[in-house]
Amino acid sequence: MKSFKFAIIIFCISLVIIAFFWLRSCTKNDYLELGADDAIDPTPTQIQSIKAIGEWEFLSVSLEELTDTVRKGFFSDDELSRIYYGTLRLGINMHQVEPGWLEAEGDSVILALPKIGLLDRDFIDEARTKPFFESGSWKPEDREALYRQAHENMLLHGLTKENLSAAETNAREQITSLMHAMGFRKVTITFQK
Amino acid sequence: MKKFFIYLLAAAFIVIGILMCQGTIVQESSGDGRQENVYGSVDTLPMLISQVRKCARLYTAEYRVHKIVTHDDVLRLKGSLLQRQFNIKLPLGDRKIAIPIDAKLKAWIDFSQFSERNIERRGDHITIILPDPQVTMTSSKIDQKNVRQYVALARANFSDAEMSAYEQQGRAAIIESIPSLGIFETAQANAAKVLVPMLTAMGYEERQVTIAFRKQYDAADMKSLLKIED
Repeated sequence: MKSFKFAIIIFCISLVIIAFFWLRSCTKNDYLELGADDAIDPTPTQIQSIKAIGEWEFLSVSLEELTDTVRKGFFSDDELSRIYYGTLRLGINMHQVEPGWLEAEGDSVILALPKIGLLDRDFIDEARTKPFFESGSWKPEDREALYRQAHENMLLHGLTKENLSAAETNAREQITSLMHAMGFRKVTITFQK
Repeated sequence: MKKFFIYLLAAAFIVIGILMCQGTIVQESSGDGRQENVYGSVDTLPMLISQVRKCARLYTAEYRVHKIVTHDDVLRLKGSLLQRQFNIKLPLGDRKIAIPIDAKLKAWIDFSQFSERNIERRGDHITIILPDPQVTMTSSKIDQKNVRQYVALARANFSDAEMSAYEQQGRAAIIESIPSLGIFETAQANAAKVLVPMLTAMGYEERQVTIAFRKQYDAADMKSLLKIED
């Protein structure tokens, strides 16, 4: 009788061991995860306008601007910091040249060019912006205000007298070189002031 | 011992009081001695890194493009149980966002290496062989006023980091679509519109001037001619 009981116990233990290993093998590759897809949906890119332009760029100033805003709160302050990227392009717009801006005679050429300036006031690549820090809840208007602040700061730091002067110097060099390549030996360049 | 606990309790109250008052500016009004909390936004961290580069680029074509970036953020429970895969959409877990992006693409020709080698003269005829046109995204703007989002009760709002990640994906999608927009062809055609008047002012007649490019570009060439800053 005793040996029968012992056999049953051994059988039960064996069953438990087998069940354990069977369950382990079945659940070997099991996993559980909670999440969402991060990819954007495919949407078309629409052309809104096509324009023929004639802008000569002679100096580009690439800027990074860390802009932040703080909202004072009762318990704690909310803060939003973003890094904006932009490139100021300095040069001349050929659509602004006046009639008779280029006079050639023999191996001499005289060019009267428009003033060196900022070619395009849209210079921030906002879609490239990097988030730096965010605490609290922020509205699109707050992000728009940050963008405007970054735009203003970039103009302040990039559109300097020194950069405009460097652009004009480079314009002289490049246009002189272009005119020499065209066969002119004596090149005179003036810029509108 | 009892006194010690009373002191400890008092100290805890003081610390909690200080923490609660943190971040609140209290201003006294001029006449009646009233106190009011002021909530405002200030900018505190201007920082600038700049890179200045000399160049000689002639921009000849400008494309304004528009894209609405959409993202359907469905919370799902995924997994495998007893070798059976499952993917369950959780209730009250939906978030959706639509971000309109306007971008400006410009095609340009690099004249910094332009020399006599780019010019061919035969009699009174002149041919200018221009370097390959290249394309840059010069700016992009998020239409913040028209950003729309729907967030279910059980979910948190889209964070700035999440929105920026979608915007960057949208930017990459715009760049990917550039070869199919026809901007290279427009740039080639417009180059003549800028250069021919210059050459006629130099004394050439229009029929004596030819503006040529190295070759016709296929999709693979166009991808190599994209100059995008990352």
